[in-house]
Formats: sequence, C-alpha cells, structure tokens
Amino acid sequence: MNAPVIGADLARRDAGDKLRGRTRFTIDRAAAGMLHAAVRRADVASARIVSIDTAAARAMPGVRAVVTAEDAPGRYGVAIADHPLFAVDRIRFHGEPLAAVAADTFAQARAAADAIVVELEELPAAVTMAEALAPDAPEIHPGWADYEELFPGGKRAGNVAWEATVERGDTDAAFARDDVTVVESTFRVGRQNQTPLEPRACVASFEDGRFHIETSTQVPWAVRDTTAKLLGIAPSDVRVTVPAVGGGFGLKFEFAVEPFAALLARASGRPVRLVNTRRDEMQTALCRENAEIRIRSAVTDEGEIVGREAVVLMDCGAYGGETPFLTTMTAHTLGGNYRLGSVKLLSTAVYTNTAPTGAFRACNGTYNTFALERHTDEICAAIGMDPLEFRRRAVIGNRSLGSTGQVFEGDVLAPMLDRMAALKARTPSREADADGRLYGRATVVGTWFIFVGPSAATVNLNPDGRVTLVTSGVEIGSGSMMQALPQIVSDALGLQPADVTVRAADTDAAGYDVGIGGGRQTVSLGAASTAACAEVKKKILNIASDMLEADPGDLELADGHVSIAGIPDRKVSVAAVAARAQVSTGPISGNGAFTGPGTAAMPGCAAGHMIEALDLPVFAVHDCEVAVDPDTGHVEILSYAVVQDVGRAINPRAIFGQIQGGVVQGLGYALHEEITIDAQGRIRQQGFETYHVPLAPDVVPVEIDLYEGAPSIGPLGTKGAGEVPILNVAAAVACAVSNATGARVQQIPLTPPRVLGLIDGTEPAPDLSHIDPDWSANRLG
Amino acid sequence: MPVNLVVNGEERAVAAPPLTPLADVLRDTFFLTGAKHVCGEGFCGACTVLVDGKPAVSCLTPVGLLEGSEIRTVELLADPSGDLSPLQAAMERHDAVQCGMCFPGILMSLTALFETDAAPSRDTVRTALAGNICRCTGYERIVEAALSVCQPEAAQ
Repeated sequence: MNAPVIGADLARRDAGDKLRGRTRFTIDRAAAGMLHAAVRRADVASARIVSIDTAAARAMPGVRAVVTAEDAPGRYGVAIADHPLFAVDRIRFHGEPLAAVAADTFAQARAAADAIVVELEELPAAVTMAEALAPDAPEIHPGWADYEELFPGGKRAGNVAWEATVERGDTDAAFARDDVTVVESTFRVGRQNQTPLEPRACVASFEDGRFHIETSTQVPWAVRDTTAKLLGIAPSDVRVTVPAVGGGFGLKFEFAVEPFAALLARASGRPVRLVNTRRDEMQTALCRENAEIRIRSAVTDEGEIVGREAVVLMDCGAYGGETPFLTTMTAHTLGGNYRLGSVKLLSTAVYTNTAPTGAFRACNGTYNTFALERHTDEICAAIGMDPLEFRRRAVIGNRSLGSTGQVFEGDVLAPMLDRMAALKARTPSREADADGRLYGRATVVGTWFIFVGPSAATVNLNPDGRVTLVTSGVEIGSGSMMQALPQIVSDALGLQPADVTVRAADTDAAGYDVGIGGGRQTVSLGAASTAACAEVKKKILNIASDMLEADPGDLELADGHVSIAGIPDRKVSVAAVAARAQVSTGPISGNGAFTGPGTAAMPGCAAGHMIEALDLPVFAVHDCEVAVDPDTGHVEILSYAVVQDVGRAINPRAIFGQIQGGVVQGLGYALHEEITIDAQGRIRQQGFETYHVPLAPDVVPVEIDLYEGAPSIGPLGTKGAGEVPILNVAAAVACAVSNATGARVQQIPLTPPRVLGLIDGTEPAPDLSHIDPDWSANRLG
Repeated sequence: MPVNLVVNGEERAVAAPPLTPLADVLRDTFFLTGAKHVCGEGFCGACTVLVDGKPAVSCLTPVGLLEGSEIRTVELLADPSGDLSPLQAAMERHDAVQCGMCFPGILMSLTALFETDAAPSRDTVRTALAGNICRCTGYERIVEAALSVCQPEAAQ
C-alpha cells in the first residue's frame, strides 16, 4: 500500500520553477507585436469634467490607440452597478481613470497619457466618513437612486451606499435590566493595502471577434463577466486565462486592468500589456476599508451577554465594489464568538471621495475581531472577571444561536481554548525577554467562515491511466491548486498526486467558479472535484468489472489498480482500464459541481445581507506576548501562538505556512501598516518607503496547533485554512498591548507614537460623534 | 557605445541607453525574467542580482555603470537541465515557496551571504534578508531552509 496522501506534508509541484526563476507570471509575459498601455488618472478628488481632449495625445510618437468613457458604456458593481470604467461627467476620487493609451513603448504611452488635456471644475469633496455623513455633505452620487441594483434588500440613500442590519430579540429590555453592567466602546481602524508583490497586470488581445485576456487575477469568471459588462459586449466574447499569480490577498478579487487593455487591443488590433506601477498599486489598491465602530453590551455578573448593540461604518470609497457585500460579514464577525441574548447590529457602507476599497484576507473580520475582543476585555474589567474565564463561559457552542439566529453545531471554541491552554503550558513564557519593558499577554477568539458558492470541475482519465483536473481555480501562492486539490483527487481515485495534472484556469475550458478567496477553494473546488472523481470512479469500476468478471460493488480502487475485495491478486491497472475504455465506452471523464447550501437565518432577523447565515463557520484562538518599550513606544512581539479550526488538514505543513504568513500580515496591520488620506483625498503612502510591510527581522515563529474534527460540509471534512490566520492578530496584539500598558487601545496600528501617547495619556480617543449613541438613530429611515 | 558585461558567465554587449536599469536589460534583452520588477524603487529586493559578487537592486542599477562587470542572476544557481542547487533544494524541501515572486531576489541575497559567511547565525540570516520583502510566507520557513544548508545540525 502506498502511504495515505490525505494529511501528508507533500511538496508543491510549482516550487522548482519558482526557485529557478523560470515561472512566467503575467508580468513576465510578452506577445509578438505587443503594445504597452498607460492610464490617465484624475489628480483631484471631486470635480465636474468639462472636457477631455485626446487629439494631441493621439498625434504623439508611437501611439496606436486612445480610449475614453465613450468606449466603455457599462457600469460595474457587486451589489449596485455604480462604477463606470472611466469617470463619466464627474470625478469621484483622486486616481480615477479618465483615458487610456497604447503605444509602442511604455514611455511613449505614459507621455501621451500625460498629454491628454483635461478641463475640470472642482467640486466640494467628502474624504472622511464623518464628512460624508454630515447633514450638508456633498452628494457623491447624485444619481444613486437610478443605479441598477444587482442584489435586492439593502437600504441606500445619498452617501450611504448600503445598509445591512441584524435585529434579534429585545435589546431595549436587556439594557434596562437592573442586574446588568453596560459597557460601551468605540474603535477606529485605517486602511491596509494588500500589497501582493506582483501588481495587477494583464496582456489582452482581440482575435476572431473575441477577447483573450491573460491576467493576474483571483477571479477569472468575474473578470470575464465584468469586462463584458463594462464594454457592453457578450460575456462569451471574453476568454480569460491565468498563469501563476504572484500573490493576491483579495486585491485581485475584482476586475482591475483588464477592460482597459481589452479596449486598447480592439482599437489597435495588437496585443496590449497593461501593468500597474507600484505607485498605481498604492493609489488604487482596493484596500481593506477603514472602519469606525461603536459597540455596547449589557452583561450580567456571571458573564452572560443579554444585549448587544453595534454600529459599524465601512468606507467603500467612491464606488461600492465589494464593500456593500462585505457589510454582511459584521453579523458574523462582530456578532460572532459569543452567545447573545438579544442583538442589534448596523453595518453601513459609506461613499467618500477616496479610492474604492475592497476585499482583503478575512475582510471585515480583522477589525471587527479587534473591536469585539478589546470590547470583551473592557467588559471583563467592568464586571471583574478573568478574560479567559469569561471567554470559556460565553463562547458559541453546540446549539448556540448566532446573531442572525442560525443554530451552531458542535462545541468548537471551548475545546480550542483548552488546546490553547495546553499549548501555552508546554511553551515557556517569554516574559523574561521583556527585560524591563512593559509586558503583556492576551488570548483572543475569532469567528470566520468559508465563503462557499458555486464551483465546477471536470476530471479526465487519460489513456495512460493518469488524470487531468480541469477547473477555473487559480494558484495564487496558497498551494490549494498545487497541493490540496491533487491530494484530494488522487485520494479519491487511488492514484498518487503526481498522477494528477492540474489545468491552469481558462474560462473557455472549465466551468464557472466564484474565484479564489474567502478560504473557499479547497472546500468548493475540492467538493466539485470529489464529485467529478466519483463519476470517474464509477466508470472505472464498471469497465474493471467486465475485465475482472466481478460485481462492481466487490471492487476496490487503490494504488493505481482495481482489485477484487479480499483477493488482492485479482487486479487490473487503472491504465489498463483506461485503455479498455478507449474501445468500449470511449474515454472516461467525470463532471462535478458544488454550491453553498444556503443556511438560513431566523426569519426577520437579517436585512440587506447577501449571506444570511454561515454555511461553514471557522474558529480561531490566538495568543500573543508583547514587550512595550516605555521610552520609545516600540512594541516587540515576544511570542505568538495559534489554534486554528481546520476541519481536516489535507497538507498540515502547507497550512502551517499559511498560518505563519497570515499572522505576519496581521502583525503588519496591528503595528505599522496604514494607508492614510490627506484633506485633498490623496493617499499619502506611494511606495514601500512610506508603507511598511513586515520584514524578516520583524517576525517570530508562530507556535501552531491544528484543531481537527469540527463539523464541516467540506470534502473529507476539510475547511479552508488560508484566509483565517490573519483574523485575530490585531485583536491579540491590541489586547496584549492594552494589558501591558494599562491603556485603552481603541485604534490600530499601534505605531510607536500612538503607543507612547497611550502610555502618557495623551492619545486622543477616536471622535465618533457622527455615530449616534442611540442605535436606531443611525439607520436610514 | 555598447556596454560589455559578463552575464551568468557569458560575455554580452548591451546597446541600451546608459541610464537603462539593469533589471530591464536582463528581462527585456536577455529574457532573464527571474529578477522581478516589483517596486522600481529599490525597497522590495525582488530584482536582486549579484554585481561583481555583491547583491544589488537591478531596478536602480544603470547599465551604463556596469562596463566589465560580472552579473549573476537566479537563473545561474542551478543547471537548467540539472538538479536544484542545495539552497534551492532546501527551500523546496521545507515547503518555503508560496507565490514565489520574491524568491529570485531572496536566493541571490542568501547566495551573497553564504559567499562571505559560510555559517551565519539565525539573526545574520534574518538581517541579510531585511531588504527582501515577502508578503506570503512570514519569512520563518525561508530562514529555516537557509540555516539547514549552512548548519544542518542546528536546523534539525
């Protein structure tokens, strides 16, 4: 018997070429006769467009095509179709595209784009959510009421792009009880740039009336459909293929550069390359949104949360994009972790005159978990209960109600807290390393979920007895396409992972898929692949039953052979079965499909939500030790530990790699990564000199314990493992720093100046006067 | 005037304007696309190559200053038809690679380190990588893999 492939730490098939520098990412691709493109962007945050004159640019050397808003009539959106490709009549953010140019060289394209004459009339801008929600705020989308709604149910008005609410039980009665302590907290977080090393990039061509776009994306089908919508063409006229992607982290979960390159390819008749510069990426990345949070809870002395109310404002920037969709998640992140007797949550996406925000690993979850866990520690201080004891008592368990009224299955968080206690017990504390600095430690919990949704897979059994897996899955670095899926497929068919060829994503070859993100690929693509394998296996056994003269029900498929159960010598190879199929049934293949079951909320609890309840919850427990230098405000992470709910680990070592990497991204978010915007709506950080991501000397090895066995609808009981590692990090660090300093941490990142201010008592609390303390007053009428 | 270089052991002449970044020459003229153009400002290290044995960010290195220089890129580390180098093999064995964009630069920074210090400490390895941004891995496994090459016992 060959060793089992599920649970094996197998290497990844793409490592060799990546280490040789041979892998050709999108930025490394070139086509004969290829042109280079540049985009002309707005340099004000809010203006009326008087005129755009491209005549001079068109006459410049090397210029082959110039395209503008007239060439792209459609509007894009996830919840609301509010977003044109180029600004139409009005500029809504600094950096908004106005025109695009293709030329023989990039320098020529850049020069011509800069030579386009733009006449503007500046308009008042609202660059913060407080400004956008003020009674006299400039209306960023005067035509908001006429936009096509792509998803029903969200309330909208003026600068409120989307409103989602949760209402379960009577919070008024809960807060009025005379046996509760009421604790109120406020928080504010800034934006985080995903910063994959490969910028958004594509090469587009137009042949035989169809577009072919080779692009660095997580969502080939969304690129296909969005490009078609913006250009006003049929989606089937767009083919998207995806080579190895140099990191995504959510940045590449929406269209980006593709429609510009497609238009220019059609206009010029030549392939067109468009690659964002780092400056473009800093200016236009769909950052994790800045958010403002007011939360209050009514809690008994025994630690029972009888009522909770919260308002979360999420800055979607000038256009909605993913952010209205992400308002949904507040119900399950800020509304997660703990049993709530009654709850009201308001999650609002607010338009501002800033670059649009979007998805970033554990979107919405990172800051809501920061807020919830800091609030929880403030509750513990108010009622005088140990924070770990409070969490043991209050976390969601078997049959607990979620905020929207779904019923959770299984005790998961409580045993994970025990596992963290055991991990801490066997790992010596690093308190001595604080060496005179302020020492703090915290253990925090987090709730996340797998964003399931539709996936399709085809498995072809080839005449040599090996298989090809055809999906729209993309390898963005996480290993799901290079490790998890071939392990799942080979296990299902009694083969070795090396026997499984993984077809790169091609929307002409594979069925629809939501995309790579939300921790979904191992679950959704894995489930679709498993279903495809079941069909292949059935066909293999049918043919083998003729060859072995045995009933298919008596046959076993393992180690590349079909054998009769109990008579291992009576066997035929899968290759022989595949060869026989060529002359009996024709080649063997199987198709599989999967989608989320659509777990329901309690009727009437959730409004404006695109997901009412969690199909596949995931939990995490993190622990962190910090040392805070009282003279400089510098925070050093002394130790970091994670217990993560993974369902079943297909490749444990690959998951460890995801956890180490996700935690380090979270440390950047907690300690120093922040995109800030000036009064003119300009993003201040224009590169790595001013936007600091963690470097090798900054990090610690993360101690990890994988929690297996929690209920899961995933294949083999698996859950996605790559999204969730970043979820609790800001919470863990903030709670530990709060414990070290005795100060109330209400904002991240915890940069040295902010931490010094906390120690000195000079750090101001966030001004959230635009969020009414009366929960209901914040809702749209 | 063409600039004469030795690139991965081969004498080459480059006719590009003298201010052309070495990264562009390597990628666009010699099709050595291992070195990545990621920030163009010398902060990320993804374009790191060795110039006369020293690590250099090729995006900020004008080719006009390189007359007679010896350039080594990631493509030189292993024979194209042979095995990975010991350092590359260690990265593969430790499952250190994720998206892979930073590795060509990281491998060249480590190659330079090992040529001057055959048995660096963990802190020395971390410091040597301070100019190479990796957004995926959280670095530790890269450090472990590197130490396993120069300190096989210590990395057990």
